[in-house]
Amino acid sequence: MIWQTIMTVLTVALILGGLLFFTGGTVGILRFPDFYTRQHAAGKLETLGLMMVALALALANLHHFTIPEILTSVKILLILFFIFLASPTATHAIVDAGLRAGMQHWRKPHRKER
Amino acid sequence: MVVELDMVILTLVMICAVGAIWVKDLLGAAILFGAYSFMLCLLWAIMGAVDVAFTEASVGAGVSTVFMVAAVFRTSRRTKD
Amino acid sequence: MKKLALILVLLCWGFLAFAAADFPRLGDPNSPASTHLSPYFIEKAYEDTATPNIVTAVLADYRSYDTMFETTVVFAAGVACFLLLRFYHFSEPPSHLYRHKPSGTVIQVPRGYRLKGEHTELEPIDRDWAPKDPIVEVASRILIPFIQIFALYVVVHGHHSPGGGFQGGVILGASLVLLAISRDLRTAQATLGESKNSILSALGVLIYVGVGAVTLALGSNFLDYAALAGLMGVDQVIARNLGILFVEVGVAVAVMATMFLIYRNVASAGALDEGL
Repeated sequence: MIWQTIMTVLTVALILGGLLFFTGGTVGILRFPDFYTRQHAAGKLETLGLMMVALALALANLHHFTIPEILTSVKILLILFFIFLASPTATHAIVDAGLRAGMQHWRKPHRKER
Repeated sequence: MVVELDMVILTLVMICAVGAIWVKDLLGAAILFGAYSFMLCLLWAIMGAVDVAFTEASVGAGVSTVFMVAAVFRTSRRTKD
Repeated sequence: MKKLALILVLLCWGFLAFAAADFPRLGDPNSPASTHLSPYFIEKAYEDTATPNIVTAVLADYRSYDTMFETTVVFAAGVACFLLLRFYHFSEPPSHLYRHKPSGTVIQVPRGYRLKGEHTELEPIDRDWAPKDPIVEVASRILIPFIQIFALYVVVHGHHSPGGGFQGGVILGASLVLLAISRDLRTAQATLGESKNSILSALGVLIYVGVGAVTLALGSNFLDYAALAGLMGVDQVIARNLGILFVEVGVAVAVMATMFLIYRNVASAGALDEGL
């Protein structure tokens, strides 16, 4: 019984944390000034948010610790592993392509130069 | 299932579909089409048609987006109309 | 022209909306589909074919003709891409680039000329060549085997879980496309040559039709897998189960090869030299 409560609290906390990171990533994509900073927000925060939500789902699935439930949770953890592998690589490849295409990075505008 | 979730995803499907036609940049249209396929996949998964959702995710959101990006890469990026 | 297209689309939409009013409501228990078809499949599919996933049983057994011609349509799409891009609008690039591997120097050979003899130190490179990115290369090297194993699982496990030949074949093809994107098109083409690829895409359809032809030769209906029972020494239910598996393998091979055939032709505009 106490385990159930702990699991529920942990799940809710992880989902809330994941949603917080998702929100941060979205705000970053919308508000950051150039391509590279936007990729930074998207890549890092979305990966972490997705990992937290997936971990929460893997925990929430475990009601009675039966074999099928544990197997499903292991599958979710595998998905998490592949996201952890693929998402930063994709971000790296996109930033690399942007660098090759000659995207300008953002500079702080000086008031005097205008 | 939750009706509100259905409606939200259906709205997103329609926004993506209209956007894919509206956008002048063909690369953007290809990516929007991928997003459209993915939303449709979610909708089908909610409706319980898991096989169709799986097909849509692999074909629509995966391979056909790659084909379109490849075609844009080999032709022009702007539409004429 | 655009206005005309809009009017035509609106007209078609009007007809569809007019016809959709005659459809039974979603999940109506009194509609013909719910009174005749669905109960039969739900009750009999497992008894007939020993396949827990009813969708697979319906697609590959009861509605086998549908799936056969679906596979043929995919194959036809691949052949159409091949015919359109490989033979027409084909122009040789203005020059070929070779990279001297030890020193990194790039040699340009104009159109119409070729390098004499074998050069192990020179590698042909794309015009928009980029230095090898170790991160992307290693990540794709780790991911591709897992993707292919998952694809095989999807093909073979289609009886019990969502999936089947089509999805598995697409994922297999996607793994080859990932190889072509993460390295270059040459590497992927060295993995699966053009003639082998074309033969595979035809072979898949041939496997499907071949199963049907065998059942026909055994004196039963086309694609009636129960006829395979005597040939394999199992009872009819297991024979139908295995028949579904054979057909799924055929679909997977056809779809995998066709996806890569379409990709290599589209990405290189038919020249098959350099791509995305």
